[in-house]
Amino acid sequence: MHFGICSGKVAGNAEIADEMVEGTADIAVSGSTARCTGRWTAQTLDGIEHRLDTIAWPTGPVRFDLSGVEFDTVGAWLLNRTARTLRRSGRDVSLEGADPAATRLLELVESNSGACDAPVNVHVPGMFEEIGRESEQQWRSYADFFAFIGETAATAAASVLDPRKLRWKQIATELQLAGVNALPIVGLLAFLLGVVIAYQGGTVLRDYGANIFIVDIVALAMVRELAPLITAIIVAGRTGSAYTAQIGTMMVTEEIDALRSIGIAPQELLVLPKMIALVVALPLLTVYADVMGLIGGIVMSHSLLGLSAHSFVDRLAEAVSVTSFLSGIGKAPVFAGLIALVGCFQGFQVSGSAEGVGRQTTISVVQSIFLVIVIDAAFSIAFNHLGI
Amino acid sequence: MVDQQSTATLVAVRGVEMQFGDKRVLEGVDLDVARGQILAIVGGSGSGKSTLLRLMAMLSRPTVGSIRLFDTEVTQIDDAAALPLRKRIGVMFQNGGLFGDMNVLENVGVPLREHTRLSDETIEQMADIRISLVGLDADAAIKYPAQLSGGMRKRASLARAMALDPEVLFLDEPTSGLDPLSSDAIDELVLELKNSLGLTIVTVTHDMDSLWRIADRVALLANGRVAVEGTMEELAKSDHAAAREFFGGRRGRASEHAAVRS
Repeated sequence: MHFGICSGKVAGNAEIADEMVEGTADIAVSGSTARCTGRWTAQTLDGIEHRLDTIAWPTGPVRFDLSGVEFDTVGAWLLNRTARTLRRSGRDVSLEGADPAATRLLELVESNSGACDAPVNVHVPGMFEEIGRESEQQWRSYADFFAFIGETAATAAASVLDPRKLRWKQIATELQLAGVNALPIVGLLAFLLGVVIAYQGGTVLRDYGANIFIVDIVALAMVRELAPLITAIIVAGRTGSAYTAQIGTMMVTEEIDALRSIGIAPQELLVLPKMIALVVALPLLTVYADVMGLIGGIVMSHSLLGLSAHSFVDRLAEAVSVTSFLSGIGKAPVFAGLIALVGCFQGFQVSGSAEGVGRQTTISVVQSIFLVIVIDAAFSIAFNHLGI
Repeated sequence: MVDQQSTATLVAVRGVEMQFGDKRVLEGVDLDVARGQILAIVGGSGSGKSTLLRLMAMLSRPTVGSIRLFDTEVTQIDDAAALPLRKRIGVMFQNGGLFGDMNVLENVGVPLREHTRLSDETIEQMADIRISLVGLDADAAIKYPAQLSGGMRKRASLARAMALDPEVLFLDEPTSGLDPLSSDAIDELVLELKNSLGLTIVTVTHDMDSLWRIADRVALLANGRVAVEGTMEELAKSDHAAAREFFGGRRGRASEHAAVRS
């Protein structure tokens, strides 16, 4: 038996080369006969493809002699397409001498060629439609987010009334993951931040001979502003993304639906423990970042300005008031709530396949970092008005 | 071409063992796939059917043993030498394996775009023809994999597997998770491909109806080996314990009766 597409000849690149010498796809037009020869296959057709468009066809009927040709589906389609074009221009076209395999392929492409002509209705939305759709989608996602906050609050309220409902084991696990495991990275970055600020401030202060004020600069910047902010940003990237990925994966694998069907509220098992754990962990991490930042400042002050650790710590009490300290720490639970809400919410927004998990995780991190910075700015303005 | 080639062995598996960690999935498989045949690999869950298919399709390498694909030993082959062989086989994956960021049309065009120098227009038309051939309509062509049902994904995957006119098609559970009507349609399609294009097809399946309908030969895997091999009739009559267990169940009998009646 012979099948044009599975000739069994091609066994490697070297042999393809041999094949092409003796059997290169070709077409020769003489009189009203177009004689096709060689192997018309996907790999070897690119030359012919362009020639078919430029060939000088006879003005009268065209007879294709296919006795010396070997097709695959692509070759059959090219010939079929050419024949159609010729017919459309009013010529009489006949295909002759095709072996059974080639005939089958020609029939196959002919019977499926309708797909190429069918106009594909791709709806391209206009500008206004696009704006409308986008607005509606944004509006919906805000509405969903607020609904999610409400749902979480309701679950939280129920748990407060009946603390046995709280999943203490989950809370402990989340504390470990979000808090304890974040200590190295938060500590290192806060320490380096302290070093950088002390260096930047120190070079200026040294010129004025006001070395001791390096304590005010480092301590105020770290405690009031930078420690809460950098900690929240790290946690958003580290923990917020993990929340989205975890819940998102559970959405894709239908675990969330399974929880619901068993009668466990996903909010209660997944969201609330994460939220509680993060609200506890983030202020603690912030205090830790305060300390590490100050240590960074002490190290740099010592090496740059010769300020002893003892005098640095002595000055600390004057430089940072309790109010300053608390205003820094006070922001942390708000950031924590925000990160946990956004992280979990985006997880529940995942639909479809694993791809959605990645997309939603990116959105989650960008949104929570964005919101953390916006809220931080709002705090600064509020503190300014209140004179704190 | 020549007659002897129509009976040639396209894939020859000899003494293949496969080990994952401590678990030995295949313990000495011998199997031949003849040109123009539909060979079905069957067996219980975890019997190593899909593993064997992946080995034959050069998607993984066996721990021990030899696999010859088109008379070329592929167990130690490097990527450059494997490429011409890869162009001659097509794989339809269980869940489609479609690229999520491309629509069906683009997915089907990938092999042609990668391996030929045809114009974009021709590639798109070829993709359209393949998509029509596997029974998807023009609307499905511009959809993304996430928007397709399981059956449509399988069809699209089949269209892509055929893009380069392969000589051998490997199908991983082509009808699993489909409703009976869609399963029948896929079976019809596979038969049609074999008859009109002369394809050689290796399929992994649990589907008894499908086995009776399409398989020329069936290889039953049990305990890491090919326990029995033959036509469906032979296997159904076989006294081999594994065959009795697999085909003697109520589903097996029901399918046999249905097949005999039709």
